[in-house]
Amino acid sequence: MFELTLQALYSGLLTGTYYALVALGLALVFGTMKIINLAHGELVLLAAYVAYTAESQWSLNPLAAIPFAMVVVSVVAIAVYLLIDRIKKDRELNSLILTFGIGIILTNFVLLVWSADIRSTTTPWFQQAVVFGDLLFSSRSEILFFLISVALVGATWWWLSQTWYGRATRAVSSDRKAAMLMGVNPRQTEILSFVVASILATVAGIAIFTGQVIEPSLGHALTVKAFIITVLAGMGSIPGVLLGAILIGVVEALTVTYFSSSLQELTGMVLFLVVLLLRPQGLFGFGVRRG
Amino acid sequence: MLQLEDISVAFGGLAALSNVNLRVDNGEFVGLVGPNGAGKTTVFNVISGLVKPTAGNARFIAMDLLKQPIHARARAGIARTFQIPQPLHELTVRQNLIVAQKFGTGHSDPKRIDEILDFLGLTERAERNAANDLALTEHKALEVGKALATDPKLLLLDEALAGLETTGKRQFTQMIKQLHEETGLAIVIIEHDIETISELCQRAVVLDFGKVIADETPERIFRDPEVMRSYTGERSA
Repeated sequence: MFELTLQALYSGLLTGTYYALVALGLALVFGTMKIINLAHGELVLLAAYVAYTAESQWSLNPLAAIPFAMVVVSVVAIAVYLLIDRIKKDRELNSLILTFGIGIILTNFVLLVWSADIRSTTTPWFQQAVVFGDLLFSSRSEILFFLISVALVGATWWWLSQTWYGRATRAVSSDRKAAMLMGVNPRQTEILSFVVASILATVAGIAIFTGQVIEPSLGHALTVKAFIITVLAGMGSIPGVLLGAILIGVVEALTVTYFSSSLQELTGMVLFLVVLLLRPQGLFGFGVRRG
Repeated sequence: MLQLEDISVAFGGLAALSNVNLRVDNGEFVGLVGPNGAGKTTVFNVISGLVKPTAGNARFIAMDLLKQPIHARARAGIARTFQIPQPLHELTVRQNLIVAQKFGTGHSDPKRIDEILDFLGLTERAERNAANDLALTEHKALEVGKALATDPKLLLLDEALAGLETTGKRQFTQMIKQLHEETGLAIVIIEHDIETISELCQRAVVLDFGKVIADETPERIFRDPEVMRSYTGERSA
């Protein structure tokens, strides 16, 4: 029993960190544009399939496919941004419909190009087991991307707090109007937030491809999960996103261990509803702010 | 420096400004006065780009102002403050100024930031969170500081003294006066207090129901019974 719980906590921690990458991208875009990109999970999916093509067609290691996937995903993300930018009225609401539609198009594009078959890496190195003390089991991919994900979350925090454009991004998130009156060009920060979100989504996509299996419907599920994590964390809290993602990962792993894998997605939803009811500002958020 | 010509703004069917003309010269200190709802803040919103006029022209130095987006106007040298301070919540006091300086001027000058903090009496508060750890006077000072950090040519102060108690108001007035004397910055201030306008401004422009009804020295303005009736909200039948 104790061993099972410990393993569930460990697996949840490893999974939660790449969930954090997905959620952080969604939160960044929400922060600067106040829109929820419902096609965000499909960007993760696209990165995973680019890595699949690189490996299966060109015999490239999935890690070597990261730069190429980043370019592809960033180009698609910028195209999504340019479409959203054309919305002149009720952008918050209309962008939901637009990005939902883009998500469906991307999923169908993946279906058309790569079919509905389940895919995974064929590079055995990623799947080899790493065992700690005969107690904690994981794959090399999970350990590698745990480390990369933590580093990337840290790098994003550093970027937001220490660099000019990171500060400008926070300024636009905090108060778009005030930031513009200080000379910040909001379009630059919005495009930048899409690009940073794409970089994070790409790494998450490769983590999923090398550690689990991918299929075209995965994108939508990831968007929902990222949204839940962002709300759990509370808007504007990077450590909150990391902790919220790990919490979801752990709760899912415990559900699979003690109940059923068919309930895995449900527990995240239940947690989401409980937090919305009891603490609508999120577990680590600061409440609603008004300019 | 700034020239508004026949600016009109309508919100729905309601005329907020009607054919407003306003000129501000280099180094001038102008008071924008009038009863509540006269359209004073709308004038600032038009100049800074938050509101698009339905008619009229506006020039700032050699620039066709109305064609410029908000951030370009800030970079060209127009800075404004809000009646309700709007600090960037996620940043410290110093970071608020740093962002304003970097994006308003295109360069960073930590020494100038220190000077602004010192001038506004915010040095000890520099590393505090701008949203949660400041008193009202400090919030007001930060609002001016953000504007100064963009190295403006024209400063628009929207009821910068509102909500301050007598001593705070006195100190703030002196600070603004000193700022104008030392920098020669062109300033337009929205203010209700006649004494403050008389002390600070070379000229006062009175708005009523979205129209300019007087543009004179404060002494003349506040001696005109017609203007005073409108200014205090008493209207003849």
